[in-house]
Amino acid sequence: MALNRELIGKEYGEVEFDVERDRIVQFADAIGDDDARYRSEEPVAPPTFPTVLQIATGGQIVLDPELGLDYSRVVHGEQEYVIERPLKAGDHLVATPRIADIFAKGPNEFLVTETMIRDASGEVVVRGLSTLISRGTAER
Amino acid sequence: MTASFEGLEVGQEIPVYSKVVKREDVKAYADASGDQNPLHQDDNFARSVGFPGIIAHGMFTMAHLATALTRWAGDPAALKRIKVQFRAVVYMDETIEAGGTIAALDPGTRTATVDVWVRLTRAGEEEQPIKNAQAEVRFA
Repeated sequence: MALNRELIGKEYGEVEFDVERDRIVQFADAIGDDDARYRSEEPVAPPTFPTVLQIATGGQIVLDPELGLDYSRVVHGEQEYVIERPLKAGDHLVATPRIADIFAKGPNEFLVTETMIRDASGEVVVRGLSTLISRGTAER
Repeated sequence: MTASFEGLEVGQEIPVYSKVVKREDVKAYADASGDQNPLHQDDNFARSVGFPGIIAHGMFTMAHLATALTRWAGDPAALKRIKVQFRAVVYMDETIEAGGTIAALDPGTRTATVDVWVRLTRAGEEEQPIKNAQAEVRFA
C-alpha cells in the first residue's frame, strides 16, 4: 500500500530533550571516538549525536497510522545534518519533526523527514533530514 | 594528523580512517542511540529478512565518517554539514574505511567542501556503504 501523501508537511509533537554528560560519553564510547572533548566536565557532543533526538522523535512519524508505513520494509536511504553548533551537556533542546516529502521512484517510495532542533533560546542548532526508503510500496 | 586550512588544496585526499565493526560496538550503539531495531541485534531476525546476519546501523557507519572528519580538522565543532547516501550494508567483523577528497575551498569562511565515502572489501569486491556524500568542514 502506498504512503499517504496528504501528510506531506505534517508537523508532529515537539519533544523536549536535556543533553546529559553521561549520554554524550556513552555515545562517544559506542562510536569508538576517543576525543577527550567528549569526556570533559562539560563536554560537547559528537556531530551525529542528534541521531538520538531524531530517533526519540521519529517514532511519531513512522508509527503514524495515517501514514501507512510498514516498518519491516524500511531501509535508511539518506541522512543529512546541518550543524550550527555542536550540542553540549546542559543543553535544553526542543526537537520538532515533520514530513518534508513523500515521493516514488521505481518500485520504491521515499519518505523525507525533517527534525528541527532548537535550544532554550529558540535558535535552531541542528537541522536533520532523513530519507527512509519504503521498499516495493509504490503504486504502479 | 591535524590539518590547517592554509595547507589544503582542491584534489587533496584526507587521511583514511579505518575500524573493524564489532558486534559489541553495534549493541552499544543501539543503546546509545536508542535505535533498538532487531536487524542490528538478532541474527535470526536478520536472516528472516534476507541477510546472512545482523548489519550495522547506517548511522553507526556515518558516525565513523564524521569522526574521520573531526580528527582531520582537529575540532569536534568543525563539521558544519554532512550529507550521505547509504548504499551497502556492513556486517560484523568487516573493516570500514572512511575517507574523502577536497572538492572546494572557501577562504572567506575557511571552509573545505569534501567529497566523502565509506568503503569496505568483501570477497575481493569493493562495497561502498556510504557514497555520493559530501561534508563541509570549517577550520579555525
